[in-house]
Amino acid sequence: MSSTRVISLDFECRSPNKLEDALEALNWDGAQVLAGGTDLVNNIKINLTRPRRLVYVLGIPELDFIRVEGRSISIGAAARLSDIEHNRQVVSRFPALVEAINVIGGTQIRNMATLVGNLCNASPGADTPPILLALDAEVEICGGIGGAGIQSNRLPLGGFFTGPKKTVLKQGQMVRSVVLPSPPEHSGAAFRRLARVSLDIAKINCAAFIKRDGDAVQEVRIALGSVAPTPVRTPTIEKALEGRKKSDGLFQEAAELVEEDIAPIDDVRSTAEYRRQIASLLVREALQEAWKRAGGK
Amino acid sequence: MKIPITLKVNGKEYPLEVKANEILLNVLRDRLGLMGTKYGCGIGECGACTVLLDGRAILSCQTLAFTADGKKITTIEGLENDGSLHPLQQAFIDEGAVQCGYCTPGMILSAKALLDINSNPSNQEIKQAIRGNLCRCTGYTNIVRAIKTASEKIKNEGRKVK
Repeated sequence: MSSTRVISLDFECRSPNKLEDALEALNWDGAQVLAGGTDLVNNIKINLTRPRRLVYVLGIPELDFIRVEGRSISIGAAARLSDIEHNRQVVSRFPALVEAINVIGGTQIRNMATLVGNLCNASPGADTPPILLALDAEVEICGGIGGAGIQSNRLPLGGFFTGPKKTVLKQGQMVRSVVLPSPPEHSGAAFRRLARVSLDIAKINCAAFIKRDGDAVQEVRIALGSVAPTPVRTPTIEKALEGRKKSDGLFQEAAELVEEDIAPIDDVRSTAEYRRQIASLLVREALQEAWKRAGGK
Repeated sequence: MKIPITLKVNGKEYPLEVKANEILLNVLRDRLGLMGTKYGCGIGECGACTVLLDGRAILSCQTLAFTADGKKITTIEGLENDGSLHPLQQAFIDEGAVQCGYCTPGMILSAKALLDINSNPSNQEIKQAIRGNLCRCTGYTNIVRAIKTASEKIKNEGRKVK
């Protein structure tokens, strides 16, 4: 039976202080990472998931960081959304990421939830994946403790999601950080979303990144959420825009190709039909804003 | 499996043994008898269960008790000082910001978290801070005014906010 007041499911817990110990504890059938808990605790309450062990990772100091590493910013698994949205480096380099974080839940949720958790929860409608995809983010996955020590590898975020609520993570692995390459000069990014009221989960969301070369689009990445089983990039639109001179109708024309890249469904928040119709508008708005922020006219 | 933890609630230490699946809200209410924190939706939408954890507003219905081990928790019971109400509590009364009262503890704690870092918030900043707290009597206008009044009072009296 499900209840939102008490949890009847029995499980054990671990509160490691070191990543190494966390990975060891995760390498066990039925073990799951607990970070802010704003998705996981609910999911346990309503019987969507039945962990046998929770490994709490917010008490691990080596995961609680937002730091500049060369030309990238790296955000650790224990960094809360509210830490990230108020971080000076993030605010100055990635304003569109801050905008995407700022619409998530209320203050309390952002004080608890983490960016890495938002990715690992792998909701098709989550607000941070589109902008992170547009910014060309990577996730650093680690696991494999034992004689060999901690093994880690980096994966472009585009390869991380495998389906609704599904990622490439295997038992015993977790995401240590999200790595964002610093945006180049003459580039800009933007985030757009539609929801009934601000606290709601998005009907659809969208982000765009543009690098400008004079009055031409040199590089472009667009991603949308809530329009497919995972957050998706839009190769058709991107191809149509790359290298093109910006003209009055360019973004609108390209945005109308969005149907090629999405496969929305009907659900409680919206219909496939509405999502298809509104997607091109969101893409166009995100492109225009990104272009403006890139210093384009 | 019982886990020994210490909750530091309103300046008092409570050594406890909790199960992994025990929710902080229930520990506060059912084991410590602190009934001021409310159970509303249970799924993180309404903010009635808001408490401060190391000074930040969080949802106690979404928090497993073992994760709060050693952290400072402030509930609505911790706001009055030697029988006198906190300026926020007094302002909520004076401005008629309490109707049924169910959202009030969470609302006041969200407001306190705001005033602790921003002593002179704009109406917009106040609204943003209480975005995660629902009032179904819709007394938002009075609530926002009460928070504004409290911020001015705290400033004028130069009183140290607890």
